[in-house]
Order: sequence, then structure tokens, then C-alpha cells
Amino acid sequence: MYKAVIGLEVHCELNTKTKMFSSSINEYTKDPNTNISVIDLAFPGILPLPNKEAVKKSLKLAMALNCETPSIVLFDRKNYYYADLPKGYQITQMTCPFGKNGYLEIEIDGTIKKYGIHQLHLEEDTANMEHLETESLLDYNRAGVPLVEIITDPCFNEENEVITFLENLRNIIKYCDISEASSDKGQLRVDVNISMMKDTDTVLGTRAEIKGINSFNNVKEIITYEIKRQTEILEKGEKVIQETRRWVDDKKITVSMREKVDAIDYKYYVEPNIPVVPLSKEYKESIKEEIPVLPLEREKKYISLGVLPKDAKTLVRNKEVSDFYEEALLLEVDPKDASNWITTRILGYVNNNNISFSDIYMTPLMLANMLKMISSKSISTQQAKEVCALCLEEKKTPEEIVKEKGMEQISDPESIKEIVNKVLNENPEQVNIYKNGKTNIIGFLVGQVLKASEGKANPALVSKILNEEINNR
Amino acid sequence: MNITEMKELLDNKTTTSLKLFEESKKKALYSQEKINSFVTIMEDFTKEESNSLLNGIPYAIKDNFSTKNILTTASSNILKNYIPVFDSTVYKKLKKAGAVLVGKTVLDELAMGGSGLTGHTGAVKNPWDQTRISGGSSAGSAACVSEGVVPFSIGSDTGDSVRKPASFCGVVGFKPTYGRISRFGLFPFASSLDHVGIFARNVFDIAAVTDVIKGFDSNDMTTLPDEEINYTDILKENIKGKKLFYIKEIIESAKENESKEIIALFKKQIEKLKNNGIQIEEVSFDKTILETLFPVYFIISCAEATSNNSNLTGFIFGNRMPGSSPKEVMINTRTEGFSEMIKRRFVIGSYILERENQEKLFINAKRVRRMLVEKMNKLFEKYDGLILPASGLVAPKIDESKEPDKLSSEYLILENHLVIGNFGGYPSITLPMGYVKDMPVGINLTCKAQADALCLNIASHLEEIIGIKDICAGGRKDV
Amino acid sequence: MLEVKKLETYAENLEFKMNAEEYSKLQKEFDILFKQVDLISQIEGIENYEPLDFPFPLKNSYLREDIANEKLTKEDALKNASEVKNNCVSVPKVVE
Repeated sequence: MYKAVIGLEVHCELNTKTKMFSSSINEYTKDPNTNISVIDLAFPGILPLPNKEAVKKSLKLAMALNCETPSIVLFDRKNYYYADLPKGYQITQMTCPFGKNGYLEIEIDGTIKKYGIHQLHLEEDTANMEHLETESLLDYNRAGVPLVEIITDPCFNEENEVITFLENLRNIIKYCDISEASSDKGQLRVDVNISMMKDTDTVLGTRAEIKGINSFNNVKEIITYEIKRQTEILEKGEKVIQETRRWVDDKKITVSMREKVDAIDYKYYVEPNIPVVPLSKEYKESIKEEIPVLPLEREKKYISLGVLPKDAKTLVRNKEVSDFYEEALLLEVDPKDASNWITTRILGYVNNNNISFSDIYMTPLMLANMLKMISSKSISTQQAKEVCALCLEEKKTPEEIVKEKGMEQISDPESIKEIVNKVLNENPEQVNIYKNGKTNIIGFLVGQVLKASEGKANPALVSKILNEEINNR
Repeated sequence: MNITEMKELLDNKTTTSLKLFEESKKKALYSQEKINSFVTIMEDFTKEESNSLLNGIPYAIKDNFSTKNILTTASSNILKNYIPVFDSTVYKKLKKAGAVLVGKTVLDELAMGGSGLTGHTGAVKNPWDQTRISGGSSAGSAACVSEGVVPFSIGSDTGDSVRKPASFCGVVGFKPTYGRISRFGLFPFASSLDHVGIFARNVFDIAAVTDVIKGFDSNDMTTLPDEEINYTDILKENIKGKKLFYIKEIIESAKENESKEIIALFKKQIEKLKNNGIQIEEVSFDKTILETLFPVYFIISCAEATSNNSNLTGFIFGNRMPGSSPKEVMINTRTEGFSEMIKRRFVIGSYILERENQEKLFINAKRVRRMLVEKMNKLFEKYDGLILPASGLVAPKIDESKEPDKLSSEYLILENHLVIGNFGGYPSITLPMGYVKDMPVGINLTCKAQADALCLNIASHLEEIIGIKDICAGGRKDV
Repeated sequence: MLEVKKLETYAENLEFKMNAEEYSKLQKEFDILFKQVDLISQIEGIENYEPLDFPFPLKNSYLREDIANEKLTKEDALKNASEVKNNCVSVPKVVE
């Protein structure tokens, strides 16, 4: 039996305002060559100007991934020629990467597992190429965008593990606000290294590398395919070739691109135009303090508050949802109630309407107010569902809806029935009078019920229910 | 005329900046056939208003400084049609100071070389003797100042590319501390060694130009913070008690008759300086280290140059050649675009950077660089400056097919000691000290890093004592 | 002496071609370099020195603030490119 050994290289574009080494705008746009500067185009005589915020964000991620971080900022050049690389070298970090020997803890099937992060470094993205029939068009908007590369240990054995890891990693990236991490915009790209080995083997098998995968779904398909392909080769007694392969999405196969990926010598050396910048302990500490409580810890906290484990997971999956929930907690809502409303009603609405959570009208305060109305019985749970739906759809506060719909009157038959019976019990004399045929006494009783409800009960309903109840006696 | 003289004529309205430009331009055009120092001579007069000392003064700049809308070739075929879209900081500052650009000067292709013979528009000749080289790589910038076309010019200095041609052409050449002048817009050769430099015919003019172009630049992270000082103000300050040294092993490496003659002249000038109250001592320095100056320089500079010029592919700019794939375009563009000397240096640089060779070559060279710089820094604690002949040669003959013996101590030490200034980023200035074979020879003064004011202050006194100042080619007094 | 074949690989990786005469010159240049490098290995104690990457340490080193302030127009960006299409630099089709 062969088992797969998988390592990942994840590239993530940072959400800084400007590029890594120039002050041109870092923003995704379809209009080619608009967010560019002389530096991005590598005109002769330009010099790199490293972005402080990009340094900060990548250090933050390195720390969130439990990495060792250096005491200086130092960049290196990686030299190679390619049409999408304007300078003919990429400025990256080899000597002194921002992260080393880290790990990410993930819960898989109820147990916490640690996955090793070999290295994390900061570099710059290349230009975007559009391939036409006979030519390729170069758009430099992406050239120089700050890019964090995360290299894992070869520590995965199956596709589900990889996908869970990637989902967790993406989540942390979003929690730390270092990237939008949208695959659609190519902000998160994955290289997969995969080889097969027998349980008895002590060395790793020959690996294939599949580069620039844009969606997690493809990552999964590719791994499944490669495991099958490599296993078949090995079972035939043949050898797997060390090479870079490409995924052909419509055929669902990988094909060879080029052999011997290790043969390229990138001639790394220290970038001479960026003087060494020291990273003080205080500075690093201040970055560390900015790391928010991460998903796994939040999940644990929610469960301890009585939230169902399934719901706790749902809440932390999206940082915006979790932040919303955290804010509601500060308003002293019942943790379980709030969780229920968010995971069922609010997320249900978001999913059904295919909108982003950040676009909803309801705020944590509105949710808290609505929950208070329920607990004070000023509206029923049934009514609250309507309030919630209208709040999301019509963009009105719960108070406004309650007023408009007359819900501030007690229109809940059950509640009214309760008050009616209380009044009937307290006035046996008047009930007798009624039973003896003087039915106009009912007016007095309606008055008493309205009084008991502090004028909030719906008079028509009161009169109807009163008639029913009194006749039942 | 030097800057001060021109300024006077401008101030008393005897002339106008337009007239000065026209005269310079005429000289530039006239001198082209003789010395070929320009790639581009400006058609039109353009000038901004300013109160600077350089307001209205014509000048030339090496063709490896980016000048917006003005052809900038680095004297290489690969950039023969390149028109930059941005200004180098140096050019921008000169423009703002009201200086008037007369032309862009020829260099050794991509600033790699020391002869001035390898530019794509042909060899630059020495104004003193057209059968001789001007030296390089800032060949045209040295020659046009020596010829009297302009009172000052801008060059770049990676090993000795300002200070050697200054010696060969009989002018003053200065490169301040690394980071004193922004490199933004200077086409890089070897970034950790590249300096902006200035040519003029006297130390005051050098100081005046440096005052204008120096300073912190947010476009160059390696620039130093601003100093609250004008170099022109401190030139006459007393240098009593200042102590200089020269290195015995460098002086003694002279073996040929010509170099011995130059050493004799140097010693004569040293005596003269001593007689005028300047303390000068002889210091002994490890000869094995001195012999590695050139290889260390060569290794570091080739390696960095290979990488720095990787942007020359013909895609976004440059003289693109056809091809059926991007790779073919690159190969054809670079094969056509670079001369063989450049290709050889790139191959060597690429070999040096290879994983398996890097430690032995590149890293070790950088270790020697540190060793040497630390030893120098120690000496600079005791002495205010290092004084040496800039070269053991007068400008060599162009057709002299005899290659120097690149393994001789004379070549390795005497011809290459100026790289010390680049290794440590030291301010370093060459000024004329006399004549051998009717050709000018220079003396060089190097001071500790960031002591630019001190360097110019001492140089100004050396100039007075030596008594050679404001000369043009042929030794004629500049008129 | 370095073989021409090996030197050809370097030239190829540097994206240019050289002719036979140029290679033979290059071989000689390498020979001189190797002899000069021998001088470096004669220096004692270099292993005790850290490589020097910058002329001197800069006390005012810093990082750039994340503020956008530079923009190049499309016209300027593409002005020097010999082949342009749809506001992009055009190259022969990249086949991986």
C-alpha cells in the first residue's frame, strides 16, 4: 500500500494600499496597466521601496502561525528570466524569512492536529498574462503586489486534510486582515507537491509539483488524480518522474510541463538597495497584540458558553459573522439564543440571497434589542421571526417594524388569553352578571383587560377572546 | 570659465544663460569630431529659474542618468532608442537649480569598463592627446570638462569611473560618501558600489555642484540624512593638525618607468605638502589583501551587474529584436544589444552567483571587502585621509594593443587601489598634481565615510599648495 | 579551463548567444580570474569575517509608509514598448 505525502506552497496577495516596493495602488482592476509606476515596470535606474504595512502584515501572519520571527528585515534577489518578471529578478526573502518553524492547529474529526509551517516569506507578485491566439498580453497591475508565501512541511496524507488546512489557513488570513484571500481574484494560489511512499519506506518518493491552483476544489481533484496516477505508475514497477505538472480542468487530468524543477539555480543574493531595518522586540510585540483571537480559540469559547459545537463552527467560519456575534455578546444577549438566531435566520437569509454577510442591515445592537423584546414578552417568538426577516429585507430597525406592524400592542392571542382569564378570575361577580343575561357587562370586562395590559392589548382581539373565554365558563 | 566666473558674468549681465548655452553647444558640436564625448547634444535651451549658484550654468551628464523625454542609452545598443519617462534625482535637482543641460555624455557600455572605448557611438578620445584614451567609464563627462565645453559634468563611479578619468584628463573628480547623493535614476552597474560623481576644474566648483545634488531622497533608501552644511562654506577652513597617510606597498608596487616617474612626482608633491604644514605619514598595509582589491571588485561588480541588467529584455523598453517566442525575443535582443565585453562579464557574474560557486567566490569576496573596510576604518580613526597617486599611468594610447599583465602587483595594486573608496563608500577626490610625458596625472584623497566636508576641505588646500587649478586640455589656462 | 560547452549553458541561461572567438576570450578571462581568486584564498582568517553587503550600516534605515502617491500613465508606460495591444505589452505567445 502506498500513502501520499503532500506539501503545500500557498501564495497570498496582501491587502495593503500600495504595492510591495512602489507606492502605486494595490487594487484589483480589469483596466490593464493603470495601477503602475516606473518601479513596477523596472525601468533602468529604479530602486525598491519596501512597504512597511506589508512587512507588518506578513509578520502578523507569521506570528499567528506560531513561527519564529527574525530581528531584522532583509530581502534577497531571486534571479530568473521570464516574460512576466519585469526586473529579471524577484525581490523575496531567502536569508531571513519572516517566519520559520511554525505550525497551525486544526481540529479534524474531533481531534486537534498540528501541521508544520516550514517557512513564511514576503515577496512581490509578477505581471498578469493574457494568452491570445498568437500573442500574450502583459498587464503590470499585478506586478509588485505584496505576496506572502507559506511553505508547509510535507505533512499531509490525504486530500480532505489538505482542504481543511487550507480553509483554516484562509480563515486565519482573514481574521488577521492581511488579505481578502479571494480565489476568484487570484489572491490565493496554491502549489501542491505530492509523492507516494510505502509505509515501510524511510525516504520520500519522487514528487510531482502542480503550480498555481486557484480553487480549493481543484486542489482536491488534483490530489485525488495524482494519488491515482502515481500509485498506478509505482504498482507497474515504474518510476515517477520529478517534474512540474499542469491541471487541465476540462479533462480533469494533470499533464507534464517541465522536468527537473530542482535544476533551476536562482542565484539568490542579498538585495543591495534595501538597507537592513532592525525589528525591535517592542515593535514585534505590538504586532502580536494586534492578532485577534483566532477561530479555534473562539470556537472553544462559544462551546463553553453553551453554543452547540456545530453552531460554534458555523459562527467562526467567517470572521465577520464571528465578530458580529462577539459584539452581540458584549450587549449581554443570551449566548445560545443569539447563536441560534445568527446561524439559522440571519445566515439563512444571507445564503438564500447570495449576499455577503458584511452587506446585511442588521447590527449586533438590533439583534440584541430584538432578543430583549422577546424575553420581555413584548413580542412573541413567532413575531420576532417576522421582525428579523423584515429588518434584513426592508432595512428597518426592529423598533420601527414593531411600531409599523402594531406589534407593540399585544396581538398575541395566547398572551391576551392569559390576561383575559386573569381578569375573569378576579371578577367572578361580573362573570355571574354576564351569565345571567346582562351581556353588556362585557364592556366593563374589556376595560379591565386593557387596563391589566397597560393599554397594549389589541382591543378587537381582547373583545373576541373575552367572548370566547367567558362563554367557555 | 569656471562656475564662479560664469556666475559673475551672469550677475553683471555681461552674458546670459542662453548665450552660455549656445557657446557650450558650439564647443560641444565642434569637439565631437575630435574627442567624441557626447551621445546627445541638446537642440534647445531649457531652463528653470532659481537663486542657486548653478543658475544658468551649462553642464553635461553621463548617459546613464535617466532624463525624461531625452534619449538615454547607457552607450549600449540595447538601449539605443530608449526615451525615459522619469527623471533621475540628480537631473531633477540640477534642473531645479537652474543649471542648463548641454548634452548626455558617452560612457563605457553600461558603465562597465575603464577605457571609454566601448560605447555604442564610438571611442572617446583624450582632449590632451587624441591618440590616448580619456579613461572610463565616465569618459565623455571627463573629456568634455577637460576640453572646456562645460565647467562641470556628472558621472558615476563604481570602481574608479570618475576618479581615474579625472586623472587621465587633468580635471577634478569627486565621489562623495555612498548615499550622500541619490542613485535614483542612475542605471545600476553594481548597486553596493555605485556612486554618483562630479567633474569640474577646481575644488570649489565640485563643492558647489555637490551642494546642489546631495541630500536624502525618499526614492533611494540608501541615502543619508541631510547635513546642515554647505560644502562651499567650509573649503577654506584651517586644516592645521590634520594628518594624512599613504600606503607604502601601493607606492612600492610601481615597476615600470612611467609609473616610477609618477611616483617620483607624487613624492615631490608630498614633500611640498609637508613643507606647507600638512602632516603625512607612510603606513604599511598587508600586501596580500591589497593584491585582492581587483579580484574582489571584479567578483562583486560582475555578480551584481548580471542581475542588475536582467531587466534589459526588450519587452517593455529597449531595442527589441523579433522572435517567435518570448525567449527567442530575449535572446535575439540581448545577443544584438550587448557587446562581447558585456556578455563576458555577465557570464562571469552568473558563474560567481551559482549556488556551487557562491561561497568560494561571491561570499569570500564580500568577506575580504569587510576585512579591508574594517582595517581602513581603523586607519581613519588615526588619520584624516589617505593620499595616493590616482594611477601609475598617464592616459594609455588607444591603439596600444599591449594588455596589462593582470596578475602583476603593479596592475593589481597601483591601478586598482581606488576601489577602496567604493568598498567602504568613502568620499574620494582626484585632482591634478602635475605632468608626466606632457600628460596630466592626478593625486587622490580618500577620507572616512560621511566626512565629505573634511575631504573637500583638505582637497581645497591641496589644490592651493600644488597650484594646478582651472586647467583645460593642453595645460592651457581655462579661458 | 572551463569547457566551452559549460560556458554555452551560462550564456543560454543569460538569454544571449556568443560565438567561438568570444568563448575563447572568455576562457582566458576565467583563467585570469581563477588565478586572482587564488590570491583571495591566500588571505588568512577570512572565514572569521561576515560578508559585507553594504558599504556601511545605515543608521536611518526605515520602511516606506503604505500611502499611494505614484502613478504612471498608460501612455508613458507603453511609450518604449515596440509591440502594444489593448493597452498591454504584447509578446509572442507564451507556451509553457
